[in-house]
Amino acid sequence: MNTKAKLLAAVALVSVTLPGFAVADTADKRIALSNNYAGNSWRQAMLTSWEKVGGEAVESGAVAAADAFTTSENQATEQAAQIQNMILQGYDAIVLNAASPTALNGAVKEACDAGIIVVSFDGIVTEPCAWRIAVDFKEMGRQQVEYLSTRLPDGGNLLEIRGLAGVFVDDEIHAGIEQGAQEFSNFKIVGSVHGDWAQDVAQKAVAGILPSLPEIVGVVTQGGDGYGAAQAIKAAGRDVPIIVMGNRQDEMKWWAESRDANGYETLSLSIAPGVGTLAFWVAQQVLDGADVPKDLTVPFLKVTQDTLDATLAATPEGSVANVEYSLDDAKAVISAAN
Amino acid sequence: MANPVTSSILQLPKRPWFWAFVASGITFGATYALTEGSGSSELISAALTFATFSAIVGIGQMFVITMGPGNVDLSIPATMTLAGTLSLKFMDGSTALILPGLGIALFVGLAAGMFNYLLIRLLRIPPIIATLSASFLYQSLAIWWNRGLRIKPPEALADFTTGSLAGIPNLTIVGLLIAVASWFILQRSIFGRWLSAVGQNTRAARLSGIPVEAVKAATFIGSAVLASLTGYLLASFSGGAALNMGTEYLLISIAVVVIGGCSIAGGNSNVPGIWGGALLMFLVVSMLNSYGLGAGVRLILTGTIIIAIVAAASGRKGSA
Repeated sequence: MNTKAKLLAAVALVSVTLPGFAVADTADKRIALSNNYAGNSWRQAMLTSWEKVGGEAVESGAVAAADAFTTSENQATEQAAQIQNMILQGYDAIVLNAASPTALNGAVKEACDAGIIVVSFDGIVTEPCAWRIAVDFKEMGRQQVEYLSTRLPDGGNLLEIRGLAGVFVDDEIHAGIEQGAQEFSNFKIVGSVHGDWAQDVAQKAVAGILPSLPEIVGVVTQGGDGYGAAQAIKAAGRDVPIIVMGNRQDEMKWWAESRDANGYETLSLSIAPGVGTLAFWVAQQVLDGADVPKDLTVPFLKVTQDTLDATLAATPEGSVANVEYSLDDAKAVISAAN
Repeated sequence: MANPVTSSILQLPKRPWFWAFVASGITFGATYALTEGSGSSELISAALTFATFSAIVGIGQMFVITMGPGNVDLSIPATMTLAGTLSLKFMDGSTALILPGLGIALFVGLAAGMFNYLLIRLLRIPPIIATLSASFLYQSLAIWWNRGLRIKPPEALADFTTGSLAGIPNLTIVGLLIAVASWFILQRSIFGRWLSAVGQNTRAARLSGIPVEAVKAATFIGSAVLASLTGYLLASFSGGAALNMGTEYLLISIAVVVIGGCSIAGGNSNVPGIWGGALLMFLVVSMLNSYGLGAGVRLILTGTIIIAIVAAASGRKGSA
């Protein structure tokens, strides 16, 4: 150990032991975002938020770099190679939206072994050395049925629109919806289609299954599919049931228009794409030496009848409702978990 | 033999596209059985509407595949996305700009097709690699242009794409007109003869004086233009362009060609089969969804059905 390293170790020791000095400087730390996919409006909003918050953090001197990298093919192998490149480039922390919860564990372990902080969010990884900012997707599914039960005490038939088959998030939300349907047993899921979180795919799938369905009172969704479902149901000449929305601007706009026309009421919930910025600040806090539990939970963003107009006004046309997190938000989430 | 009508009916099962329509009929019947008779017109109209998108891109892909082994256009999804994104952003909901918007979409197709062909010709890259790598460029361009924001189509255009004439969806009429024109080009025009000749033996075609490179260029441009038209229509139909709107049309465009009884080795294609395959692709998913089967079973059955139809169609050739 040379003198410089000893000195650094001493500084680190002091800053860890003295909470008052825990603002060890992260001004020379470099944070990278490893993102597996950019091909939808949610991911685009996520990248824009990252650029904004990360850029401001660099400008104010909180960190030295906040670079975003996205793989082109949404493949775990490709992302593993990307993480290995980040290790070689000497980043201090990697914020990760992973293509797979398990397939990247090897690369994540390599990064940890190289002394790099890895914070995963949205698409989290199971490797124990990484931090996880998870969304309770199961609860997101369950709450949809719970909401419907408050609106429709008599229950009825539901149509479920699922996401992309084989993806962890789809299984989780689906499990939550099933759980909700058991809890509120006067609801029955009479049909289930995969909308791939895309309006046009959802529209096509719903149009195909509708003719064989009895009357439905509600549609439970996963986000990015509510508007397509509404279009398909309208085209079939049926009354539009309560469709739980997923915070997309076109969904909220349709909701607001229907509300003005016929008093339509529903609920919209999803994760804010700005969750990436929460992960950014968590990584900064870990680099800063803060004591951060490995598992954190991020609340989902709900839009209700009361907040619809305000949220719609704040959401850019064609985008998705968003919240960007600050350093204080990150500290609050961390202390809530401690 | 009996009169020409009966004999042509007897010839039907020997048509390569016959089995795609038989299978569509069976799947329709199976779904119809669940609807208790109430939803049949709903199902027909949905099938016609959504099959139109698959049919138009499928026809473009068919022309490309006719050129023989190795020829396939993998840039269809990205071209759709780029055309949809650029044209809807340009129109920005203004009815007066519907036709210029269509022009922009078709221009995107023209440019993409030429670019694909130039990659293949000048850099001597195989079509699979060339169109795949070009598709990354188109997709990135679409992302960069509008960052995935969904812009609503002009009201009149949205009404047209979701409307119908005498019970037939407007889109289907467009799709059928394209099919008739394509049938004429493939079966009745000199270009169609050239194309089949290129697909059967490129060397022989070249030696017999067919402008092989011009045929190739026109085919790749045609495929991209049809993809861009589909992107424009799909984006207007579903309330805006999305970055992932073309994704599922890559496999569908190839599947409808195979199901439609075209030779995957090239040189022998037909247009009616594309429509048969497009209807089947929609009806199979609808049927399996209606019977409440999970995604895994659905994918397995979709694959099995495709294999069965291709086997039935090629068995016909063996016995003939």
